Amino acid sequence: MKLLSANTGSYPKIGSDPKKQKFRVAYAKWEAGELSDEQFKKIQDEVVKEVIDEQIQAGLDMVTDGQIRWIDPISHFTKNLEGCRMDGLLRYFDTNFYFRQPVVTSRLVIKHPVACDEFVFAKRYSSVPVKQVITGPYTLARLSINRAGVDFRTFLRWFTEVVAQEVHAISRLGRCFVQIDEPAILSHPKDWELFKESIEEICSERRRLKIYLYTYFGDAMPLLNKMENLPVNGVGFDFTYSWKLVQKMAEEGFAMEAVGLGLIDGRNTRMERKRKILGILRRLLRNLNVEIVYLNPSCGLEFLPRENAFKKLKLVSEICKEARQKIL
Amino acid sequence: MKPDLPLLPTTAVGSLPKPPEILEARRKGWGAKKLEPLEKNAIRRWIKIQEEIGLDVLVDGEFYRGDMVAYFAQNLEGFRMGGLVRSYGNRYYRKPIIVKEVKYRKPITVKWWKFTQSLTKKPVKAILTGPYTMMDWSFNEYYPDREQACLALAKELRKEVRNLYKAGARIIQIDEPAISARPQELPLAKKAMEIMVHGLDDVYFICHICYGAFEYIYPQMLELPIQNFDLEMSNSELDLMELFHRHPFTKDISFGVIDVHSHIIETVDQVKERIQKALNVLNPRQIWVDPDCGLKTRTEEEAIGKLKAMVEATRQVRASIE
Repeated sequence: MKLLSANTGSYPKIGSDPKKQKFRVAYAKWEAGELSDEQFKKIQDEVVKEVIDEQIQAGLDMVTDGQIRWIDPISHFTKNLEGCRMDGLLRYFDTNFYFRQPVVTSRLVIKHPVACDEFVFAKRYSSVPVKQVITGPYTLARLSINRAGVDFRTFLRWFTEVVAQEVHAISRLGRCFVQIDEPAILSHPKDWELFKESIEEICSERRRLKIYLYTYFGDAMPLLNKMENLPVNGVGFDFTYSWKLVQKMAEEGFAMEAVGLGLIDGRNTRMERKRKILGILRRLLRNLNVEIVYLNPSCGLEFLPRENAFKKLKLVSEICKEARQKIL
Repeated sequence: MKPDLPLLPTTAVGSLPKPPEILEARRKGWGAKKLEPLEKNAIRRWIKIQEEIGLDVLVDGEFYRGDMVAYFAQNLEGFRMGGLVRSYGNRYYRKPIIVKEVKYRKPITVKWWKFTQSLTKKPVKAILTGPYTMMDWSFNEYYPDREQACLALAKELRKEVRNLYKAGARIIQIDEPAISARPQELPLAKKAMEIMVHGLDDVYFICHICYGAFEYIYPQMLELPIQNFDLEMSNSELDLMELFHRHPFTKDISFGVIDVHSHIIETVDQVKERIQKALNVLNPRQIWVDPDCGLKTRTEEEAIGKLKAMVEATRQVRASIE
């Protein structure tokens, strides 16, 4: 069994230090028409490199591009789709972060996948493995308004086709890591069969890709056992909504190629005690039937100030190192 | 107790565009004392503007506040300010951190309410951020869990409500935009609200909620012990009306008819159409008319244009009913 430290997804675009505010300044200039798309992209590229450096400096074994180019996880994948327009702002789950809600009026057509180029850029730059995050079809469908007059099954299938094309584009690059984020399924467990079909469809496009499914912003206990039957390579869990999940997983075990343990709270600045997390890891690792365990924050880190996000990642990495020596 | 107001009372939600001199002074890092004369000038000016436009219930415009949570956190004991966190697009805020027991030191908004009310014969709404939102939009490094943090905040903020009441405020708005974030915590939000409003039967309490997933807390939210829900309606294409069709809305409503995130000034006809949609489902005596949310993100010209369209549309609808 390998224990690796990883980021879960997003990373703050700016820091409180004025030197780390270039993204914000550039965004304002771009919005005002003082920077071209090309010039703004150049700044985004620089910030992606910066946040990859920070994650490596924190000691992570696997990084992301920090989702620096994303305005929000929903409109990032839907704003350029045919059959869809953007509506008002809505709160993103239980966070104080907002997304622009898509309104779907007809079958969705993807013009150009967005994730592949982001992944290629980050992979080329990073000295450690990079994981590309894509918002999953169920979450996209759940957070969109259906004005197409079709049932939810069809509606979900349209989004599944879109995400499958995003995944397919990356699968051409060979053995890479893709993380499908599906926070919405935790609050709609009754939709499991529909959800499963959708994930199966996406995995059929995988070729040599390693596909991880990540859930957060909710209690995964009711779905824990069902998750084992999904054709993904790994599943990520957020433990901050119910610490009973530790007990359930420790007692019942979990079998899959990989598992992501979101034991570090990505939404609060309070730093976890190393001893407590090591104790949990000791309990869990005994009963996990997996090849790779990722220790990661419970969710993306854009909900924290950048300074705190860095500290959390450093903590993840330090706990991992200690656990490798003391537990494995 | 219902205030004595015309049919379809009009009001602003809370914040109004900060004048450039205040923005500049804040950028330069001026302290509260130095800022106060500028803020009082802005209030005087906007009271006049609101009266000229013809709003029925006025607001102080919150020129003395930065962020709605940070302002109260800075004026309570137990918080320290955290770093920048993004809320949407290119908007960031400093998220406070609860680092020790929360304590109410001294009145926070009372002097501003008294000053504003002294400038007009029309009623001025007192506005404060509610305990659930204060808890949800702060990091918590002190209390063991969310419930204990929320209830501790309710007990302390209740003292501000009490002081506003003593000063004479009879319309008090408690801003709780986070209340729909975790539907399973609605009982906690209700418990906190009960602490806030307890025993003040002659106060008309408004609860402002925006950008939430109301489908998960409606109709249970109607159990909150307040008289009026101030809801954002135009931002979501009035989708909430479908919910009201299914389950009757039993409280008064401040019906948001102005999109505060758009630079485009609504026409009188557009606003009339939105009010009409409310009238299709609700009794006119239940309805107040206001924007979706605070207008601080708009320019002064846009804010005035939007409020004028809103008041004119309301006048026309009011005339057609009366």
